[in-house]
Amino acid sequence: MAKRAVVEETKPKAKVESAPRQPPLGRLIWLWVAAWAVPGLGHYLLRRKWRALILFVCIVSMFVFGLAMKGQFFATGTESYLESLGYFGEMCVGLAMPVAKFFGYSGGDPFFVSADYGTAFLVAAGMLNVLAILDVHDIALGRKP
Amino acid sequence: MAIPHFIAMLLFSFLVSVAFAVLSKDTPRDQFIYGAKVFGAFVGVALVLGWLMYFLPHR
Repeated sequence: MAKRAVVEETKPKAKVESAPRQPPLGRLIWLWVAAWAVPGLGHYLLRRKWRALILFVCIVSMFVFGLAMKGQFFATGTESYLESLGYFGEMCVGLAMPVAKFFGYSGGDPFFVSADYGTAFLVAAGMLNVLAILDVHDIALGRKP
Repeated sequence: MAIPHFIAMLLFSFLVSVAFAVLSKDTPRDQFIYGAKVFGAFVGVALVLGWLMYFLPHR
């Protein structure tokens, strides 16, 4: 009987200790923005340094390969919805797209032999960064280790 | 930089599978196994689809 009572007393305490703590909204938004702006920065701020480094290298190298293969930068304001989607996909890489424009990248050459692959690399880098942002969100909420 | 399409596909598959593995699994062993599976699936499916399309009529 005494053993049972001890077990029953300890159970709710363990539940309370393992419940994830919700971070304040401001910190959550800061993590989202950091994870969007620089791939891997959100993980770095959450002290997942190896994961941050691997994601940074993967996503940034994908973006750089896309630029090297003269992938196309999409723009908004065109008739095509697909181009607008492509623009938002590429913007998901964060500051990389404005930085590339700042350093004179003209937006690609659609007649270059590897340009289609380059565009796929640019958009895929953005999509991977979206997954990284969602991962940061889950880690911040304590849903993932 | 003009690289062969097959090399570009391998590069794409490698980088995406590494990112998937790091985001999906928690231990290094699980990450390695999952990444290898995803990479194999990317390359295998691309080769199979490539051969299937080879038999389609073309000019």
